[in-house]
This record gives sequence, C-alpha cells and structure tokens, in this order.
Amino acid sequence: MEKVAFYPGCAAKGASKELYESTTAVAEELGIELVELPQFSCCGAGVLEEVKEVLDLAVNARNLALAEREGFKRIVTVCSTCLLVLRRTKYLLDGDDELREKVNGVLSEAGLEYKGEVEVEHFHWFLLKELGEEGLRERVKNPLKGLKVYPYYGCHTVRPYQVLGFEPSENPQSLERIIRALGAEVASGERRLECCGFHAFWPNPRGSMVLTGLNLKDARSVGADCITTPCPLCHMNLDANQKRALRAVGEDFSIPVLHLPQLIGLALGIEPRRLGLHRNITPVNC
Amino acid sequence: MEKREITFRIRRFNPKKDPRPYYQEFKLTVPKGMTILEALQVIKDRFEPSLAFRAFCRSAICGSCSVKVNGFPKLACKTQVLIEAEKFGTDTITLEPLDNMEVIRDLIVDWDRPLSRLKELKTYLIPDPKVVPQSLDEETRVYPEELKKYDRFTDCILCTSCFSACTASQMEEEYGGPFQLARLYRFAVDKRDALKGERAKIGYAYRMWDCVRCEKCADVCPKSVGPVDGIMRLRGISIEIGLKDNPGARHVLAFYKSLLESGMLNEVLLPLRTKGLKGIIENLPLGLKMILKGKAHSPILKPIAEHESLVKVMKAAMEVE
Repeated sequence: MEKVAFYPGCAAKGASKELYESTTAVAEELGIELVELPQFSCCGAGVLEEVKEVLDLAVNARNLALAEREGFKRIVTVCSTCLLVLRRTKYLLDGDDELREKVNGVLSEAGLEYKGEVEVEHFHWFLLKELGEEGLRERVKNPLKGLKVYPYYGCHTVRPYQVLGFEPSENPQSLERIIRALGAEVASGERRLECCGFHAFWPNPRGSMVLTGLNLKDARSVGADCITTPCPLCHMNLDANQKRALRAVGEDFSIPVLHLPQLIGLALGIEPRRLGLHRNITPVNC
Repeated sequence: MEKREITFRIRRFNPKKDPRPYYQEFKLTVPKGMTILEALQVIKDRFEPSLAFRAFCRSAICGSCSVKVNGFPKLACKTQVLIEAEKFGTDTITLEPLDNMEVIRDLIVDWDRPLSRLKELKTYLIPDPKVVPQSLDEETRVYPEELKKYDRFTDCILCTSCFSACTASQMEEEYGGPFQLARLYRFAVDKRDALKGERAKIGYAYRMWDCVRCEKCADVCPKSVGPVDGIMRLRGISIEIGLKDNPGARHVLAFYKSLLESGMLNEVLLPLRTKGLKGIIENLPLGLKMILKGKAHSPILKPIAEHESLVKVMKAAMEVE
C-alpha cells in the first residue's frame, strides 16, 4: 500500500493519546505506512478563521503544501475537525484562483507553494477505500460478536457535504459498514448525526453538556453496549465529560466510548493496552 | 421512463381541532423528476383537499415551500422524490413541518419568531451619510471586490431551513439564529452601512458564541449560503473591535498564541487562557483524571519542526489586505 502522510491533530497528540496509540497500532497491523510529518502544525480547529480568514487558510495551506513538498498524494487524519478544516482550505483554494494566488503569496514567505495535488481523508474513509468491508472482515481475528455498537459520527465527519463529500451527510453508512465488518451489531439511534456541543464548550458549557448528555441517553435507550466515534473532540465530550454531561440531563449511568480505531483494533486482536483503552476516562471492560 | 410507487407519510395537525399530530399515508406512482411539491399538489388535488402546505414560485427562489423530508429541511420544489428515496434506501418519504417553530396547520409553520429576530438584529442597511448620497441624483458604487465579502450572504431566501436545523437555536431561545446572524455580518462589511463593525456587538448580545459549529445550516441551505461562515466572520469582527474579554474570544486568542509559541495547541493552558482561574477550577476534576491517565502534556510544548516557517506564514497572513 502507498505511503500516506499522517496528520494526527492536537487531540491525538495530547489529551486523546489513546487515539494516536490505537491508530498507529491498527495501521501497523494492517500494513499501512502512516508517515507523520514533524512540520505539521495545529489546524486551528476552525477558530483561526475568527482571527482572520486568510490566516486560517494560510496556516492550513502550509500543512497541505508540506505534504506535497514531501511527495505525498494523500493526507490521512483521525480528527474530524482537522479533516473539515484541511478539506475546507483545499476546497476554497482549488475553486478560486485569485484566493489561491493570494495564499500562495503568503506561503512564499516560507518558501512553500500549495499546488492542489494532495487529498485529505479521514482514516476510516481510507480503510474503506483501500480494504473495503470485505478486506477488513478478512483481517478480523476476534469478531466482536454480540457487541451492540452505537455509531456516533460527529458533525465534521459528514457536514457540510459540499466540503466533505465522502458519503451523504443525511444518511451516512461508513461507521455502520465498519461495525458490521468487525462482527459487531449496529445499535443506532436518532441522535447519531447530532452535535456533541464540543465547539461551544467554553462559551456555553451547560448547553454543550446537555447536548452530550442527550446523545449518551440516546445510545443507552437503544440498548448499545458502547459508542464509537471517529472524532476525538466528540470523544472528549462523550467519554471524558460523561459524568458531567449525564448530570446535565438528570441521568446517572456509564457507557464506554471507543475511538473508532480502538474498536477496530479490538477486532483485529490487538491487545487492549496497545490501543490505550486504559486511558479512556469512562472505564472500558474488555 | 422510470417510475416507482412511493408512500408519502405526511404529518397532519390542525391545532384548532386535532388533539395531537398524526400521520396520514398516501401512495403515488412517482415518475423520475417529480418534485416533492408536485407530489404534494397531486395528493391535495386527488386525495386530500384539506392538506395544507405553503408554495409559490416553484423555482427555489421564494423560500415558501421548505418542509422536512425524511427528517431534513428542504425546499419541496427543488427536491426530487426518487433521489430522496434512493438516498435513504426506502420507498417511504416522510414529510413534516420544519422544527423550532409552531405549527399553524399540517406543513405550515409560524415564521414570526425567526423573522422578527431579523428586525431585532437590525439586519437592514442603515445608510452612512458619508458614503451614501442624500439625493437620488448620485449613486453609491459598490465594486466587485467589495461585494465579494458578502455576496453569497445576500442569496438567503428566508426559507428558515437553517433555523429549523440549528442546534444552538434549538438549545437557546436567545440565540440570534443562523440566517439572522449571517445577515448581520453581511451589513457589518457593507461599506454603505453606518454601523459596520459595531454590528458585531449586536451579534455578541444575541449570543453568537453559542454557535456549536455543527455545520447543519451550511448543509441544509438550498442556496449554499453557509450561514456559519458569516457567524465566524462576525465573531472575528467582534474581536477586532475589542470584544476580547469573553471565553469565546479568549479561546480564539489562545489558539493563536499556541500556534505562535509552538505550532501545536497548548491544551494544558487552554482552560486558564480561556476562562482564567474559573477555567481551572471548573475543569480541575477532569484535569486531574487526564494527568492520572497520562494524557496531559507539559505546560511548555516543544515547537514543531520548521516552526519559524509557520511564524513567517502567520505574520505575512496578518498583513495581507
């Protein structure tokens, strides 16, 4: 398989260390070579746009240009917000020559140029494109039989479709396909595409916690054993802030929340410690 | 020509006589290309004359016919039945009134609340006498590059689809609303406007920082306006005009500072930088758990490789007009 540039994002490099651990373990098991560029910077999580739009575009065009400079055709990320921010940069620059020229003018200060040759994909998109469900199923050593998994997408995994475009944002199926390929059952609910409120956590913590609480409640109401999400920011709210979120909606229970690579890793037979499952704040018994 | 039998499951409710809403089903043979609005009209003409829905232009320009199709707000006149059936892998199309507003009857909702918010936010041009001539003998020229700043935000047709889908509007009554705040931004960057950047203060008062960036408004907008982008820019203007001492703005500046310092987000200092001591106290239990789980980095981050190139790019970007 071709080498791809790996953009882990700040969360996976910090507070969601277990996402980094599980992604690299899964990639190794599947023979995928993820090359992390030490020059990659934080994408700014969309908030740089609030300082100045050109700043947001230039910082991320720098990331894209660095991958191009190193000869990569694909960047793979495990953070949905990084995915949206990088893809949005690409979408805007590829569609507007004047803007691209302006941003390249900024990049030239650092001797870089964005050419528009690199693609940005989520890790699970990459798996589905390269291996497909069948390919993944063949690699499963420990089918997750009987495990009911709630697929929680996270906004920036699917919306806006215009920018993300991998699957219909109104009825995505990528997580369901992966869950089934791993031998588990899908326990889906009406809030699988709702927001967790992470991006308003600082200005409005109560609202953010209520949203997360409602999502957790939904997973519980459909009888899910655990939740899986491809977004570390959703994971932070659903897992690390679980108690607080449930309090906000007058509930008290505990439901494990696994990063998607953790779930995949378990099915591939990777030992839980290598997947960082001991680092999840809400206990995961496996 | 491709045809398929489709079941339309329509939510009915007449508050004057029905104790509660109910669903009524209609079966139609739908040819390729038939829109939801055409289907509604056939149902009304052939089976159920009392069915109420709004429609006018049939060309996706008046914004009257917005309804929820299988849970998502859409213009009935712009949406084809068979494409929707395909997308959801079903022969049943559920039609419901938009969310977040009271139902007047069946698929018709009361727009007063979201539309009166437009007035409250003063989303109309307040002419700047220094720019806009007092008489009609002269004109105010707006050049293409000036228009580009807000052009797409003028495409809004007030269909309220974004308002129906908006997470923040569902959560907080006082939140300004997606199309409303985007329209506020549109005037904040219009050179003819007297208030201009000061309009960000209105956005602040109407809790624009409550936007959760769920991108639903961008996704459902039938005119690709992307209200969220306008809201982000309005936030940026608020920081420019000095509304910096609030968690939203401080959070933004914390990112900016982190990138200049090391190139990566300093998560450990984020609570302090965003909310001061309160941020630390509120998040202390979680912070301790993070430390115990080995997930907290050192408060001083090692810079990324070629960090100086990032700093150069950031500085140059800040100087670009």
